[in-house]
Amino acid sequence: MKKEKEELFLSEYERRELLQSRIYRVLPVAAILLLLLLWVAVSRGEASKFPSPTAVWERYLKLLDRPIKNLGLFGHIWASLQRVFIALGAAWVIGISFGILIGWNKKANALLGPIFTAFRAVPPLAWVPLVTMWFGIGEFPKVLIVFVGALMPVVVNTQAGIANVQKEYMDIGTIFHANGRQMLLEIAIPSAFDAIFAGIRNSTSAGWMVVLAAEMLGGKSGVGFLIVRGMDSGDYPLCLLSMICIGVVGYLLAIVIQFLERIICPWTAKKSN
Amino acid sequence: MSESQYKVEVHNLTKNFGSLKVLNDISFNIKKGEFVCIVGPTGCGKTTFLNLLTRIYMPTKGDLLIDGESADPKKHNLAFVFQEPSALPWKTVEQNLRFGLELKKLPKEEIDKRVETIIKLMGLESFRDSYPHQLSVSTEQRIIIGRAFAMNPDLLLMDEPYGQMDIKLRFYLEDEVLRLWKETGATVLFITHNIEEAVYLAERVLILSNKPTTIKEDLAIDLPRPRDVTAPEFIEKRQYITDQIKWW
Repeated sequence: MKKEKEELFLSEYERRELLQSRIYRVLPVAAILLLLLLWVAVSRGEASKFPSPTAVWERYLKLLDRPIKNLGLFGHIWASLQRVFIALGAAWVIGISFGILIGWNKKANALLGPIFTAFRAVPPLAWVPLVTMWFGIGEFPKVLIVFVGALMPVVVNTQAGIANVQKEYMDIGTIFHANGRQMLLEIAIPSAFDAIFAGIRNSTSAGWMVVLAAEMLGGKSGVGFLIVRGMDSGDYPLCLLSMICIGVVGYLLAIVIQFLERIICPWTAKKSN
Repeated sequence: MSESQYKVEVHNLTKNFGSLKVLNDISFNIKKGEFVCIVGPTGCGKTTFLNLLTRIYMPTKGDLLIDGESADPKKHNLAFVFQEPSALPWKTVEQNLRFGLELKKLPKEEIDKRVETIIKLMGLESFRDSYPHQLSVSTEQRIIIGRAFAMNPDLLLMDEPYGQMDIKLRFYLEDEVLRLWKETGATVLFITHNIEEAVYLAERVLILSNKPTTIKEDLAIDLPRPRDVTAPEFIEKRQYITDQIKWW
């Protein structure tokens, strides 16, 4: 009898914990609902300058029916994503290699570090005029601009990770008489995986932002193009629809990257169990 | 002829840093398969001694021989266990144990064989594929100790490996290291400032003096194993060493 009572007491505590954990699951949903409500509120009335949810929804349905430049909404999203993926692939390969080089080799860092730091300060979009002059307004210049934007975070993070390997890990290499190559491949690079992945995460979000801006400057496809089209033709529901898509896709990209990190570096899932 | 029975010979080892005399004419020998503890007050130059063994420093005078040859970490197989447990977090337990052997590029069958032996000896079977962060500190320290023994070292150096651990864990890991020592026949040089630990583990205890450090006494501990830390003979040895360290 007494034991039952104890269990009851415990379960009450646990129930409160359960409730707590549920609150955390409900909160994001509540935020979205609140935002929707706010949206409805500000877009009410004839005089409102804010496209209403129904207008955006109808614009979405219309876009399914009548593609813009032969592409539906998802076609445009995919066009943007393709540019981002190509640029990211190149930025990761080149950025990680370069980051390792200047993070590991002091001479290379002394030689190239300052130049890189100066280039880093230039926003990717500042390259638009020159890149347009050199390569026109085709696919390549857009990818190139995204590449520039995505390259910086990868290099910076990789370099920091490689240059700041914890001494105790390096000591392990010394104890086992690792040579320079083994030090780099077996100790420094794996220990910098966290940092490198932080760079990959940042570069993905940076790349996704820059591609939209690059598309707004000229082009015939992509979500950035849709926004410009909406602006030029006073089609504000289209603008807002595109913005929502940008947000959703950016969110999904972040989840994909997080998932990748779990698979590639299982040890970074710190003390979760 | 009589020299060859010693695994490690230290001849008149002296190290000065400028005018600072750290080690002063230290000589001792360690037989193959012996378990020797070095105790001494903190700051008595044991780090310097270790760094001489690893050839980070070269001695001012005297030399240090392993198997009759001047110690060379590239040629001789030295293994270390330090105070801080440091398994590589991105490797599983098994990969951590393989690490040193793979760096030496031993044949795969040899690595498999040694690692299996160590995993079994240390009871790490169920942790084989776990990552260090999923394990307790004592299990992590077991990996480090296992990793060192897996190298089949000519000489295993342990520098206060249990300094940070609570009593229960220390007792447990002390027994663990004794078992490994017996099973593998390794030669162990164990540095500690815990006198009880030294008396519990060692066949011989070298008592160091303050700087400039000399060997104050070379004391054989011939108590039967497993040793009882509460036995009168044990306490007597412990007290004796304590007094030696206290009075200069």
